[in-house]
Amino acid sequence: MKKLSPQQVAKLHNHLIHIGSTDVLVDELLDHLACEIEYRMWTGFMFEAAMNIVLEQVNVEAVRQLHTTYQTELAMTDEQLRQASLDDIVFEFRNKAYGAYDLRRAYNTALRNAFIMALGLCMMLMAMMDLMSRKTWSYFSLTGAVWLIGISAVTYASVSWYLQQNHKQEMSTR
Amino acid sequence: MESSGNEFIRGTLKTIVLKLLAEPGPQQPSGSRRMYGYEITQAVKERTKGEITLSFGALYPVLHKLEQEGLLTTETEEVEGRLRKYYTLTPQGSEVAVQKVSDFERFMNMMRSLLQLPSRLVTAP
Repeated sequence: MKKLSPQQVAKLHNHLIHIGSTDVLVDELLDHLACEIEYRMWTGFMFEAAMNIVLEQVNVEAVRQLHTTYQTELAMTDEQLRQASLDDIVFEFRNKAYGAYDLRRAYNTALRNAFIMALGLCMMLMAMMDLMSRKTWSYFSLTGAVWLIGISAVTYASVSWYLQQNHKQEMSTR
Repeated sequence: MESSGNEFIRGTLKTIVLKLLAEPGPQQPSGSRRMYGYEITQAVKERTKGEITLSFGALYPVLHKLEQEGLLTTETEEVEGRLRKYYTLTPQGSEVAVQKVSDFERFMNMMRSLLQLPSRLVTAP
């Protein structure tokens, strides 16, 4: 069967965006319509003609209809709404795979980790400068305590960050 | 049966989709198969000899709803430069598929006996 060229697919994509198809559906609709056009081209139509026939059913009205069904059928239940975060609500019916959803969800922990790490590094730097001016070192002084707290804060933040990365990767490969 | 046919399909679309996915596919003889949206519409069209054509507007809400309910899982793959989303039944989905099909068969039997003339009337003089 004849395959659509990337330019032809792009044209179809533009049309879908133009008539107001949203993120969640656009890729699937694109594949669906491209398959249909390929089938019609196989039966002997030229691309333009095949596209026009297929797109006759896919006008603004049909897409709007699809969205309405979609939003009533798939809306979050009361139970889910009660548990949902603001991010869940904002990103309902939107493309979560794009990345913004993950970034937003990870924002709080990322900020906390960054804050702890910055604080820890600062404490380590202070202890080091103190050591350089004094030339003596003891873990049982104020400087030593600051150094120890700093280094454990940095370790904690890095481990937490690493675990989060691992978790994210597991989620995405599933 | 164009318009009334569509009316009946709306109620049974879930069952149709689950049943199609529950059948052993050509690639994986054991277990359930994976299909994408257009493939499902084609399978339905082929089996009913073109009598029933699912519109994308009816199909995708049902597929996404089933996914949300945890009966289907999806995997997205790039095919010929486009993203294609494949649907597969989860273990729970397979159970529900069996359940739905047997429910529907029972329903069809009931409808058949409803549509037949009562035997009392037929044999009456």
